Order: sequence, then C-alpha cells, then structure tokens
Amino acid sequence: MKIRRLTAIVAGAAAAALAITACTPPDEGGDGGTGGGDDGGIATGTAVTVGWNQPFYEYNTSSATGNATANANILYLMQESFNYYDEELNLVPNEDFGSYEIVNEDPLTVEYTFADDNAWSDGTAVDAVDLLLQWGATSGNLNTLADEDIEYDEEGNVVNEDEVDANVYFNGTSATVGYITEVEVSDDNKTLTATYDRNYADWEVNLMGAAVPAHVVGMHALEIDDAAEAKQAVKDAIESNDTEALAKISKFWNEGFAFGDTLPEDKSLYLSNGAYLLTELVAGQYVTLEANPDFTGEHAASVERITVRYNEDPMQHVLALENGEIDVMAPQATADLVTALEDLGDDYTVETGIDGTYEHVDLQVTNGGPFDPATYGGDAETALMVRQAFLKLIPRQEIVDKLIIPLNPEAEVRQSYNVVPGSPMYDGVVAANGQTEAFPLENDVAGAEALMAEAGVETPIDVRVLYGASNARRQAEFAIMSETINPTGLFNLVDAGSDDWGSMLSANTDQYDAALFGWQSTSTAVTAGNANFGTGEINNFYGYSNPEVDALQDELSVTTDPAEQERLLGEIEAHLVNDAFGVTIFQFPSVTAYRNTVSGISPITISPTVFYGFWEWSTSGDTAGDPTSEEAEDSEG
Amino acid sequence: MLIFVIRRVLMGLALLLVSSFLMYMLVDFTIDPLEDLRTSTDPSAALQMEQRTEQLNLNAPPWERYFDWLGAFVTGDPGVSWNTGRSVSDLLGSAIISTLQLVSFATVAAIVLGVAVGIVSALRQYSSFDYLITFFAFLMFSLPSFWVAVLLKQWGAIGFNDFLVDPVIAPMLIAGISLAAGVFWQLAVGGTLRRRLIHGALAALAVALVLGYMQITDWWLQPRLDWVLLTVTSLGIALTVTTLSTGLRNRRSLYTALSCVALGLVLYFPVRYYLFSNSMLTPYMNYGIVLLLGLAAILVGALVGVAWRGPDWKQSARTGAISAFLIAGVIFLDKVMSYWPAYMAAPAINNRPIQTIGDRAPNLGGNFWVQLLDQYTHLILPTLALMLISFAGYTRFSRGSMLEVMNQDYIRTARAKGINERTVVMRHGFRNSLIPLASIIPVDIIGLIGGALITERIFSRPGMGQLFIANLNMNDIDPVMAYLVIVAFLAILANIVADLLYAALDPRIRVNA
Repeated sequence: MKIRRLTAIVAGAAAAALAITACTPPDEGGDGGTGGGDDGGIATGTAVTVGWNQPFYEYNTSSATGNATANANILYLMQESFNYYDEELNLVPNEDFGSYEIVNEDPLTVEYTFADDNAWSDGTAVDAVDLLLQWGATSGNLNTLADEDIEYDEEGNVVNEDEVDANVYFNGTSATVGYITEVEVSDDNKTLTATYDRNYADWEVNLMGAAVPAHVVGMHALEIDDAAEAKQAVKDAIESNDTEALAKISKFWNEGFAFGDTLPEDKSLYLSNGAYLLTELVAGQYVTLEANPDFTGEHAASVERITVRYNEDPMQHVLALENGEIDVMAPQATADLVTALEDLGDDYTVETGIDGTYEHVDLQVTNGGPFDPATYGGDAETALMVRQAFLKLIPRQEIVDKLIIPLNPEAEVRQSYNVVPGSPMYDGVVAANGQTEAFPLENDVAGAEALMAEAGVETPIDVRVLYGASNARRQAEFAIMSETINPTGLFNLVDAGSDDWGSMLSANTDQYDAALFGWQSTSTAVTAGNANFGTGEINNFYGYSNPEVDALQDELSVTTDPAEQERLLGEIEAHLVNDAFGVTIFQFPSVTAYRNTVSGISPITISPTVFYGFWEWSTSGDTAGDPTSEEAEDSEG
Repeated sequence: MLIFVIRRVLMGLALLLVSSFLMYMLVDFTIDPLEDLRTSTDPSAALQMEQRTEQLNLNAPPWERYFDWLGAFVTGDPGVSWNTGRSVSDLLGSAIISTLQLVSFATVAAIVLGVAVGIVSALRQYSSFDYLITFFAFLMFSLPSFWVAVLLKQWGAIGFNDFLVDPVIAPMLIAGISLAAGVFWQLAVGGTLRRRLIHGALAALAVALVLGYMQITDWWLQPRLDWVLLTVTSLGIALTVTTLSTGLRNRRSLYTALSCVALGLVLYFPVRYYLFSNSMLTPYMNYGIVLLLGLAAILVGALVGVAWRGPDWKQSARTGAISAFLIAGVIFLDKVMSYWPAYMAAPAINNRPIQTIGDRAPNLGGNFWVQLLDQYTHLILPTLALMLISFAGYTRFSRGSMLEVMNQDYIRTARAKGINERTVVMRHGFRNSLIPLASIIPVDIIGLIGGALITERIFSRPGMGQLFIANLNMNDIDPVMAYLVIVAFLAILANIVADLLYAALDPRIRVNA
C-alpha cells in the first residue's frame, strides 16, 4: 500500500469521526460544564476545613491509646457532657445534657441526672448506664488484673493474652475517678449517684460524660442484638461485678473503638450524641463531620459540615490556607509562622493569644548544688537567700518582651504557679501569692546583692540550667538570662541544656540546679499542682518539701467551695514564693488564622482550643462556587 | 550463578540483622516514650507513666527489648503502635501503596525524560545544548527537596490556581515562550545553521500555535482533545514511535503506526462516548479495568503490526503496540479531562484544582473519573518535586555512559559498515548505554521509597516517609523499626537485583565467582 492511500484512509477516518461527532450529541461527559448534565457525581455540600497537626484515630478518648487531643477535639464536636468551659474558662453546667449536684458533703456524694431527650444517633437513650460504664472503666475499681500482672513483649503485644482475656482489665485508668468507690444507678437509668471515698476538690471535672455508649459495648462484647437488652446486661455486669462478662466488656472497651484506614462498616462504633455526626474518615488525612439533624441541644451545629485535615508542619498549613484547602488553622506560634500568616493579606484574620502551656524555672533544693541547704552546712536560711537572690535576677519581663510580645502583643508575665491566666481565680491568686513583689519584673539587682551579702557566700555561684537544647525559644531564653544575670557577678549560668532534659529532670537531679521548661494544663483542676509541689510527688523533681504546703494541699483537695479553693491556692502559692521554689515566666503564645469567609472562631486556652464555640461558627456565602465555572459552559457537537 | 545468589542473600541477611540491631539501639536511644507525660499536670500522669513503662517494658535494658522485638518480627509480627493501638502491618499496608503511587510515576517520568535528554546531550557533546543541560542538571542536583517542594507549592499550586481565575496569557508572553522554545529546540537539533533555523522556527511556531489554540478555546478551563488535537497528537505519536523504534524507512512499520492512528480516530467516538459512558463502564471502572483496557490496546496494536506481515513483522508489531497504547492513553486522558470543569466547580475544590496537601480532596465524592482527576491534581506537585531532582541524576548518568559507548570501536565499525545513524545510535549506542543504568535504577528506586520522606511530609501524603517521621516524633519504636527494616531490606535486595541484572545484560560479566 502506498503512503498516499494510507494518508487518505487516516483523513477519511478523521472525517468520519468528525461526522459522527457532529451529528450525534454526546450523551454525557463533563463536557457541558456544570450545567451539562453529568457532574460526575460530585458532592455539592460545603465545609469549614480546620487544619490540625495530629490525625484522629480512635473514638474512645478514655482508653490508654485514645487519650489524645487529636481525638478529644473531634469528640468535642460529637459528644455532649455535663459541663464545658466557656471563653473565660468558667465551668458551665450543660443543662441540655443533664444536671449534677452534691447531695451529701460527707462523704462527698454527687448525683448526676440525665435530661430526658438525650439520645445517641442510633436512637438509644444516653443515660446513667453510659456514665456507669465510664466510671467502671476509668476508675480501675473493677479491674481484677493489676497493670503489673500484664506481661508485654517489646511490641506491646500482651504475652499472657489468655490470662488477660479472662480478667477484667480496662486500660484507661484515671486516678481521680478511682476516688469514687460506690455508684448507684436508678431503676429508670436516669440518675447516677457517685460516692467518693474522700472529699475531692475537682469533682466537677472528674466524671463529666460517657466516652462510649454502653449499649454498643454490650452488643459487641456480649453478642446481644437488642440495644436495651445489651445496656441492661452491661448494667447488671457492673452492678453484680460479673467478672466473666466484665472481662469481655473491658476487652472491647479497650480495643473496639480504634479506627483503621476508613470508618468501620458498623456505624454503632462511632455514634454521636452531640451536634455533629462522623461521616468520613481517611486515616492520617482528614475526618468529616456533618450536622446531626436529630440534635436538640443548645450547642447545635451552625455550619453544615466540618472537615479536619492533618499536616504536622504548620508552615504547610499556611500554604494550604492560602491555596484554599483549609479555612482555619491554630498551630503553636513561632516567629516565622506568625510572619508568614501576617503576610497572607487582608482576606485572612490572624489572632494571637495564649496556649495552655506555661514556661517556668524551678530550683533543685536537694542535689548538693547552690540552692541546697546541705551545701551551706545545712543552713536553710542561707540557701533560701541564695534562691531568692537568683529568682530576683531572672529577667522575666525581658524574656516576654523579646520572645513572646512579637508573637502575642498582649502577652504578660505569668504570676501564678497553679492558675491559667484568664481563668476565674487568676487575679485573686496572684494578689495573694506575692510573686510580683518578691520577684519584681524589673530585675531587683540591688535586692539580690543585699541578699547575697547577707547570705555571706562567695560569688559568683555557678548555676547549671537544664533546658531542651534543640528548642530555639529556650536557647534564646537561656541566652537572655545569661546576659542579664552573669554581669551582676552574683551568679554564673552554666549551660546544662540537653535533648534528654525530659528524663534528666527526674533521673539526673545532680546534673542541674535550675530547670527551665513548660508545664501543660489540660483543665482548670485546682489539685493538679500537688504533683508539682507536694512532698515526694511525681512532678516534684527538686526535693522541695514544705509540710504547710502539703497540709494546705490536703485541705484544698477536699474543698469543694470555689472561693475557699481560691484562698487556699493563694496561701499555697505564697509559701512557694516565700520558699523561693521557682518563678513562672510566660504562657505559650498561640495563633489562630482563618479565612475571612469564616466567622465566629473564638479559641480558648485549654482543650478544645480552636474548636470551642463551634456552634457560633458561620460562613459567608462565597466560600463555595464561583462565577467562572458557570461562564465556562459550552458544549461540543 | 545459584551459589552467587545464595551467597549474596546470606550476606544480605547478616547485614540486615546487624543493621537492625544498630538501628534499634539508635532509635531506642533517641526516643522517650514518656515524653508527653513528663510535662503533663494531669493528676493521673504518674499512674499512666507507670502503666506505659510496664507496657513498653521500659525498665528492661534496650537489648532485651531488641531481642523481644526481633523474635516477634521474624515470626511475622511487626508489632503495634502503642500510641494508636493499630498494628504496624496495618499501618504499613496503606503507607506502602501511597508511596509506590508517588514514586512509580515520578521514577518512570524521571527515567524516560532524563535518559532521553542525557542521550541527546551526549550526541551533541560540548555544544551549547550540552552545556545548558549540564548547567540545569547541576542546578537541580543542588536544590534541596524541601525548598523545591515549597517553591512548587507557591508557584505550581497557589500561582497556577490564581492564574486559572482568569487564564489569559498575554500575547507578548506567548511570543516569549515560543521564542525560548524555538531557541532550545534548535540547540537540541544541532547540525548546519540552515537546519537549525528551520527546526527552531518550526518549533517556535508550533508552540505559539498550541498556546494560541489553548487560549482561544479556553483550554485551561475546559481541557479536551477534540478530533483536531486528537489527529495531530496521534500522528505525532505514530511518527515519533516509528522513528525511534524502526526508523521511517521501514514502511510496514510506519503503515502499522498510521493504521493505529486511523483505528484510534474511528474508535475515539464510540469508546469515549459509549464505552466510557455512565450506562456502560463508568460505574464499574477501576484500575483493574484500566489495566485490561491498556493491555487490549497493546494487543490490538500488535495485531495490526502482524497483519502488515512481511519478514520483520515483529518490529511492526512492536511499533504498533507502543503506538496503539499511547493513542488509547490519549483517548482515556480526554475522558478524564472532560470532567475538569465539573471538578473545578466542586465546592471541595472551589476553582483551585492544584492541591498542596493530602492525596485526595475531602468531601469531593464523584465517580471514578473525578477521583482519578483528583488523585492526579494531588500527585502532580510531589511527583514534580521528586522528578526534578532524580531527573538531573539520570541525565548525567546516561550522558556519561552514552559518551563512553559512542567512543567504542564497534560503533566505528557499525558506521563503517554504512549503517544509518539512527540505527547506530538507537540499536548499537542507546541499548548498550543502558547497561550501567540498570545497576543504578533499582538502587535509586529504593532510595526514593525511603527518601521520599521530605516530599511526603511537606505534601502531607500518608506514605512510608510520613509514617516514619510521625512515629519517630511520637516516640513509637515499632513502626519506626518496621520502616527502617523494610528500607534496609529493599536496599539490600536492590543491590542484589542490580548485580544480577547487570550480569544478565552484559555477557562480559560473570557472576559465578
């Protein structure tokens, strides 16, 4: 065949194709633009997309594995509880969910009553049995196997699987829920009465809601098909302490609510009793929640759909925000990040504020170092004066001015050891503790010199400061401290920074004299500080011991009246100041950025941070759809 | 041969064992599973710390934990991530797929482009083109991938999406781009001034026409291959494939390719509008069917070649198979592109189609075609980032090996025999120049699987690298070890494969040592 003939065939084929195209209109295809019939089945709903740094992976936020902020945030959108924090960090009872009150002061007895129209999204009522299971699981009181009886191999695989399976072992134990030793559920399952074995100051944030629906646990663990029956079975098992049933229940409670790559087919594993339903999950990438049409409470969904996407690197969130892939982001603030966000322009709002973590310096008092009385032959007075002098010199205001103000213009030096700034008790406690006067913001060099002279010790004294060596902000803090303190000739700061600072705090107390790091507050619990300051407590790495503080802590932990709590906290903190325990420096800065098409974003200091107030979020109409796509309508043939 | 393989495998296993021990110790030394609890003010922190220490056996010396881990690992249990309670094999399953998806496309593209450019560059040794390519290769080589990735996001995603709001390229810019393309092309073509001028002018004109056509037909917002473009592209494919495969002088081969073009044009309409319609294949589409369709195209192309018969029917069949596959691919692409306007208008996309994070848009929905489109709008930037860097490497390698081959005596002999230049280059030069590449490519692919780490993290793709970094940050040793062992295993395997491949390709190498 000649090339000419073949060319003719090709041309002919092309002409034929053209002819077919011309006379037969395409039956479909996206060719016609959005108006042209086939849209490819694309979903039409809009969503507010929030960028976050860790993916959601488990429904049960009380289990050992599920206990993470990333999970708690999503569950905050899906589950109601007896109370919630408002913008001023007041604990507000949530009447839609139920009510609670102290019915007896001694022993402390709390009665929880569930509201009538509460229901999980499968229609089963949310009631006292759910709370009973929450208590049973997190109190540890039902466990027949102690933690140390479980043998693990390296992967965390249980070796004595059979033994564990035969025993009751809930893995998410909370020491404070364990204070509740007796519970009683009414016959109508509407009320639960919890009796403490001691008075407990933070009872209000102790047992606040149910992490998982009891009937679902019953249905799966005990293989019961009927929801009501399953619920009753769980109730019976806990009330009669039926080890065999509880063993199965605990196993399912521990493991049954973790997600794989996508949502499980069994919808009962992610029920909602709040404003949003979980509708889509892609592990490691995003979750989507849609408004719960059956929800009747006050905090109902205001935007129809919320999507939370993940990327660990906040700078990539900024680009994603600019590219329209996310609408809201609330990462930890760094200087680069804030600059990048502010460069985004007028279409975005950037708000700075404070985070739940606070920076502080604590002093070692029993390591044979400069702050230990033993160094001065047991002379506690001298050691105290040295500590006071040292703390007076720490340039708290300068650190805040240089490192934090650029990120959060309203930042102030934190003055309380226990209370989060902006929470109800902060001003009162600060007024009572005297930290401001004892360790003035303008460095009191004269006062320090006088103290050191009075102590009569040889200066300068070497002080080894432990901090996270790779943390740029802490490096800068240490540099600022050295620059102000060393020239006074009283102290000489020695860089003891290490990347192992976390384990060195408790394990290598002889290798540092002062520790610079942050504590993270997860609630406004007033008893949390005891771990830091109490004699021999877990977070008291410094050997600090003051019987009066311990006595006050004991009193505080059984005080349920907020005014009284505030007074006791003030007294405790006054002791800490007088004993020159340490100083608090600043609250970590936070930054929230969002597209101006979204409004109503008002993050709070502690969890759930940016997700707080989702019921007031709204979007202006132009987040979705754009005229350009309609203009492009045109069809071929 | 067998002894060689066995020896290499045994050595590899020993190496793997030693390296796993070292890695375990290093990782164990680096991480602190109690980190989050150390700064927690939660009243239960102490209790949780105790539980976790017990669970992870933290009080035991690290080698004890290593042997526990090793025992479980070799019996097929890579462990559990204690943070999330998910089994490591589960985590690996999805991560490997994601990484392979990213790496395979980037590698293939980088190899094809890199080798092609490297060979042209070698053939024009010490010309301006050669220097230009060398310059760019070194430039790409020296670019850190995190920086390339961020630049790509800034320009390739944010910039391009901004452009799409009103996609008009200024005429002056079109002229500039065309001119640049023309200059580049005449450099690549080489030869006499006249030849270069003609080729350069033609290339510039072609680019200007294409850009102008896209502008006029609003192609950016409604990309498609109507019959005009389809005919032009298919003819281009046919001619290029024939030239490279057998040379245009082989008439039967050329006719085969042209027959495939004709067949493609005839089948375009029925395939595109009936076979791929909602009532036919669309609801059932998946990658398996795509693969089958691709194989069918190859088969049809090969049959066309066989049908042209002649003594060299095998060559015709080869030409036909490649051409038919590519032409079918173009038709497939046209169907995918037809959903572009709908995709752009989707609320989840909101007219910003090029994405910077994740591997799919949330809440998009859509059928197979839409999802495919969505996958590629997410893949394009990370693929480019990986490609740009490994492309540079392949260019240098293939240039070097091509130069070496072209200076061999047998090339001179071939030329002396009067074989035409295409055959000398393609058959005697090109094929032999690929031998050294065979030993580099397997190792390189493994490097990408392990080393797509930065790219994956920046583009937030849930692959192996992301798994590694995220778990290292969460102080979770099991997933980290699984990643390290797999990468070490693949690296050892790749080296063995490279050696065997080398021996298979080059008869001068003997492996019975």
